[in-house]
Amino acid sequence: MNVSRRGWLKLAAGGTAGLALAELGLGPSEARAATKGLKLEGAKEFTTACNFCSCGCGMVAHVKDGQLVNLEGDPDHVINFGALCSKGAAMKATHDSPQRVRAPRYRAPGSDRWVEISWDEAYEKLAAKLKAVREATWTATEKDQDKDGKEVEYPVNRTDAIGLLGGAQHTNEECYVFNKMGRLFGTSFVEHQARL
Amino acid sequence: MTNGWADLQNAKVFLIEGSNAAENHVMSMRWIRKAQQKGAKIIHVDPRFNRTSSIADIYARIRPGADIAFLSAVINHVLSNRLYDEEYVKLHTNALFVANEAFGFDEGVFSGYDHEKHKYDQSSWGVQVDAAKKPVKAKSLDDPRCVFAKLKAHFARYTPEVAEQVSGVPARQVVEIAETFAKNRPGTILYALGMTQHTVGIQNIRCYGILQMLLGNIGVAGGGVNALRGEPNVQGACDMSVLNGYMFGYLNYPSHNEPTLKDWTRNNGTFRQKMTVNGLKAWFGENATPENDFGFGLLPKKSAKKDYSVYGMIDAAYAGTLKLLWVNGQNPMVTNPNLGYVHEALSKLDMLVVQELWDTETASFWQRPGSDPKAIQTEVLLLPGAYFMEKEGTISGSGRMVQWRYQAVKPPGQAKTDLEILDAVFRRVRKLYEGSTDPKDAPILKGTWGYAPGSLAEDVLKEISGRVLRDVTLPDGKVLKAGDYVGGIGQLQADGSTSSGVWIYAGIFGGGKNLSKRRDSADKSGIGFYKDFAWSWPGNMKILYNRASCDASGKPWPNAIPIVAWDETEKKWKGKDTPDVPDPLKGPDTPEGQRAFRMNAEGVGRLIAGPFKSYKAPADELPVDVSYVPKDGPIPEHYEPVESPVPNVLHPAQQNNPALKYPRVKAKQPIGTAKDFPYVLMTSSVSEHWCAGSTTRNVPWLNELVPEPMCELPEALAAKLTVKTGDRVKVSSARGAVTVKAVVTKRMQVMRIAGQDVPVVWMPYNWGFKGLSTGPSTNDLTIDAVDPGASTQETKACLVNVVRAEETVARR
Ligand code: SF4
Repeated sequence: MNVSRRGWLKLAAGGTAGLALAELGLGPSEARAATKGLKLEGAKEFTTACNFCSCGCGMVAHVKDGQLVNLEGDPDHVINFGALCSKGAAMKATHDSPQRVRAPRYRAPGSDRWVEISWDEAYEKLAAKLKAVREATWTATEKDQDKDGKEVEYPVNRTDAIGLLGGAQHTNEECYVFNKMGRLFGTSFVEHQARL
Repeated sequence: MTNGWADLQNAKVFLIEGSNAAENHVMSMRWIRKAQQKGAKIIHVDPRFNRTSSIADIYARIRPGADIAFLSAVINHVLSNRLYDEEYVKLHTNALFVANEAFGFDEGVFSGYDHEKHKYDQSSWGVQVDAAKKPVKAKSLDDPRCVFAKLKAHFARYTPEVAEQVSGVPARQVVEIAETFAKNRPGTILYALGMTQHTVGIQNIRCYGILQMLLGNIGVAGGGVNALRGEPNVQGACDMSVLNGYMFGYLNYPSHNEPTLKDWTRNNGTFRQKMTVNGLKAWFGENATPENDFGFGLLPKKSAKKDYSVYGMIDAAYAGTLKLLWVNGQNPMVTNPNLGYVHEALSKLDMLVVQELWDTETASFWQRPGSDPKAIQTEVLLLPGAYFMEKEGTISGSGRMVQWRYQAVKPPGQAKTDLEILDAVFRRVRKLYEGSTDPKDAPILKGTWGYAPGSLAEDVLKEISGRVLRDVTLPDGKVLKAGDYVGGIGQLQADGSTSSGVWIYAGIFGGGKNLSKRRDSADKSGIGFYKDFAWSWPGNMKILYNRASCDASGKPWPNAIPIVAWDETEKKWKGKDTPDVPDPLKGPDTPEGQRAFRMNAEGVGRLIAGPFKSYKAPADELPVDVSYVPKDGPIPEHYEPVESPVPNVLHPAQQNNPALKYPRVKAKQPIGTAKDFPYVLMTSSVSEHWCAGSTTRNVPWLNELVPEPMCELPEALAAKLTVKTGDRVKVSSARGAVTVKAVVTKRMQVMRIAGQDVPVVWMPYNWGFKGLSTGPSTNDLTIDAVDPGASTQETKACLVNVVRAEETVARR
């Protein structure tokens, strides 16, 4: 069986991602023949898309033994057909960069340093603070005049002391949940970098 | 974008203004170049000659902040030389509607202006209605009472010469651009932040809407008004309503004086009420019933008197009323304007939470050079999130295409996917409130929240798309079964029998299939629709308003690429694209079949945008639809940036946008004048560094390409300052000062504006004090005055001074 690189990518990336060649119904020898000369032999492929500008160029990630070994333009993506710009092409370096934050950190009031803390501590601190701020700043009603000039006390049930900011770097699902959570907590300060 | 990336290949002319597409939306060029090879013309209008200019057929240099003056002259040329598409204009816009008699414009302000409150009463901007509450229509465009006549009169002041005086674009080039753009159709417009980051941002884009409607360029293949959006999922974040003013997908968020769903509907209409009910059912499930207003009372109501935008947030933090700020993948300590003020505001918070990949300038704001950590009492939490290849879920690019990304690898170290973090925090907080009967805690306890740990993202996407909650029989007899997934917006019900968390995404999980995962890249349309690849909102539609590509009888306009049409034998709208009509079975002989702009209450495009409500029956209490009206005027008018070196030549008494309120916090928002700060600064990104640079400045090879920020100066200014490329210059504004290297080029020029020399300089804003490449932040200089409607900051035009810095370093 003769599978071109492009055809192979198409097979592997279509439908469910993450198929190894053997899972495509090719026998071991056929698979070996198909990948002869490919540096990425045995790698699983996952389709994804660039996270810089809003073009949304498709990418294929190659993973071997749980490690990201390659990230390149997706030749079968209808926006970029394999091409990437300088930023997109540099994306691989972001996954295993030593600069990445790898554990939750805390900076105490007045301190000049970070300390690493556990997720449990981080969640605890944040949840307790969210509750405390809600309790201290809750506004149940707002007085105003109605359109006839009569004084009315409207139920508003909110806090103006909590702000949620961000989303354009995230998935739709994360954005949806971030917004829903903020509104359920009672804040109207829900915003992201829409203007940048 | 009204259209999509691949559709750019169908255009015959491009007007790119307010965007450096070749450097900042690189892949757009793949499609623009295709069109160019077929003979399409490219017009680029920009203050800086960049890589987009270099491939353009016409390049026009414009002063930052003068776009309305230029575009109004283009519109005027189209109007006075009858270059508009008369049939389209009469059929698909409000041109023939008779304007309100009280409508007027004088000395730079529209009728209804309150000089003290800097606010408009918009009622005089509307149109006259008859007893049936329908707009009164004139017989011809020559009727002096009609919207078209008012439009003509308004723009008549903008001659090519006036445009030249204000914007610096030579008068002959204004005419050349107007002719080129009007005579090659379809034509498309591309813009980005260069157009929006102004105190007249909305009105800048209104110019595009008006121009494209006049030319019949909206709703057609190769046409449109196309926003090249800044961030990878800024489109999706807006769609998901991570914006203070919206819920459930661009539905207005309720204010304090809208305590019930009915109050809200009075201002928004029953069409949108239905969508709100579907959103409330998604959020509150069984706890949303007709008896309790579908849980409308569980939503917090914002105060109509407060500003909840990101700028309102900073102001509230500075005032000490905002206590806890949770920043998620954003870096305001680089990207917000007037950074000194932002830093002071953050320092007043009780707690700052930053969910990030990197230790950013925001997370470590207490380490900012020159500040004393001991004096900053803010607690800070830094939560490590996951990058895109480390998690799954969808993003929506500029073209509204929603695509799935698979998780390839695990996040590094203990980092978690952001969805896991959000889910865990919500569950913790809910636990803390368990058993509470306090009404304030009811939303937390009654909200639906049961996403399964192994399939978080897809579970959320299902909620976004929507479910059938009780059996529903549709008008065509089709039965939807409880437990099914809704197939599209048309299936959503007003009575609570369906749910959809974001109605414009209804159907992305139609038939129980995740359509964002589709991968068929064959171009069956022949014009780049790729309808079987991923899924576009709404309803997998590629070109919004595509009903406008047809005439009154539902046939494609003679010169348009056919994309949809009314099929008389099958009695339905069909075509290559999903028809953008209220009901595909209602033909051109019905009112529904003529609503090309169905999201406007008027059903047509609005050349003048005034208040209007549509009613099913004139006696009805509640409207079906209510049109949005810009706060600062029904039609664009040129106003100077807050900091400008020249007077407003059109009306010196009204220098700035009349609806603008600035400074908001007097002590922290000084306004510089040309006496101290004689040069105009514009800012943007570079191709190699992106936004705050939080990510790109941590990629070594991008740092090698562009290692540090700079100030680009015109040669004439550099000569005057005795500065050459590589010298260090101090750039200062009323708000701060930075020292960077100078780059002296021909790309920037000293412009001739209103009879005086105006030097324009440029700086990228992508640097800060953290990461592998550090450098001064340009936003120390920029101004945080914002557009009255969109709250977008005026980072494209402020005043600075430039002098040689004391020390100089050798040329690189
Ligand atoms: S590769 Fe470049 S053009 Fe494509 S999405 Fe990424 S940043 Fe945008």
